[in-house]
Amino acid sequence: MRDAIARIKIKPLSWTPYLPPVEIADATERQLAAMKVTPSAKKVSPYVRTLVHDPDSYVARTELFNAIMYAEGGLPRQDRELGALGASLVNGCMYCANVHARQHAKLSGPCATSALYAGRRDALSTRDAAIMDFAEALTMTPPRADQSHIEALRSEGMDDGEIQDLIHSIAIFGWANRLMHPLGHSS
Amino acid sequence: MTAKDAINTALGVSSGDAMYQLRARRPVFVSGAEACRAAVLHPEDDLDLSPDLRHAVAHRAAAFGANAAFLAGYPAPDAPEFQDLAEGGLPSDPGLAALARHTDMIAATPAKASEAHLQDLLSAGFSVSQIIALSELLAQVCFEMRVVHGLSLLRNNANA
Repeated sequence: MRDAIARIKIKPLSWTPYLPPVEIADATERQLAAMKVTPSAKKVSPYVRTLVHDPDSYVARTELFNAIMYAEGGLPRQDRELGALGASLVNGCMYCANVHARQHAKLSGPCATSALYAGRRDALSTRDAAIMDFAEALTMTPPRADQSHIEALRSEGMDDGEIQDLIHSIAIFGWANRLMHPLGHSS
Repeated sequence: MTAKDAINTALGVSSGDAMYQLRARRPVFVSGAEACRAAVLHPEDDLDLSPDLRHAVAHRAAAFGANAAFLAGYPAPDAPEFQDLAEGGLPSDPGLAALARHTDMIAATPAKASEAHLQDLLSAGFSVSQIIALSELLAQVCFEMRVVHGLSLLRNNANA
């Protein structure tokens, strides 16, 4: 069952917004403060400049996102990335899926992402499969995750603190995917 | 951390509960989620999207969670002009109708989103900044819906 899967090297994509981003030269003081840049800044991504049209939500979401994905301790980083990937695949956000598949591969090798990109769910480890199953069910509308998913995560040794981290990393991609996919395209 | 933040309220958690203690282990998640909710419902600069309009959109999106306790955290506004928008109907105002359709698509089938949907909002008179703010509002509700759903599973489990 766990036979060899060809390693897939996932190439990075770039994201282009459908709506015109804020030009740094035209940015308001609040927008500059939100981006933490000066008016002379040259390299601010189109993603940041698109979302900073609304500086209030930009600042709040960025802080929450970083807390959830990079908080110390708790669920290993690669498991948060896998939760992000599962959500992104369900939500059809190929850009987010690409970014977080590559992060996962960087942190824990290409086996899991190669299996997913090859359509070989059966080749995932039982832990990765439990994470993906939960990510997909929680991402559905309405969410369909149930106690069987929690039991599967627990039987892989996850404690409640780690499951709480996983819930948040999946949920924050229910947010990020609803920005990146509807507001732009990747190539 | 307060027991009365929106997520604890939707979960029915009070300060002595194991779930309260579990959430308190990630104080930045708790405060961050509350700050995000405030930023989309009543931001410092509302970009001419009124609190009533924002609450109507949030209520309509929250209903997709099929969770009454969660939906109660996003009450519909009293304003009669936003009743159809809030309650899942099709508003007669073309701008609000476009927003209603967009809300349903983003909440339920975000994979189907395309450039044409943004053009519909622009044609209906929404500015680029307003479209970004509405996108964040909708996505925030969808985030919180999943946090509440996930944590409710932990809470209902004997180990929590």
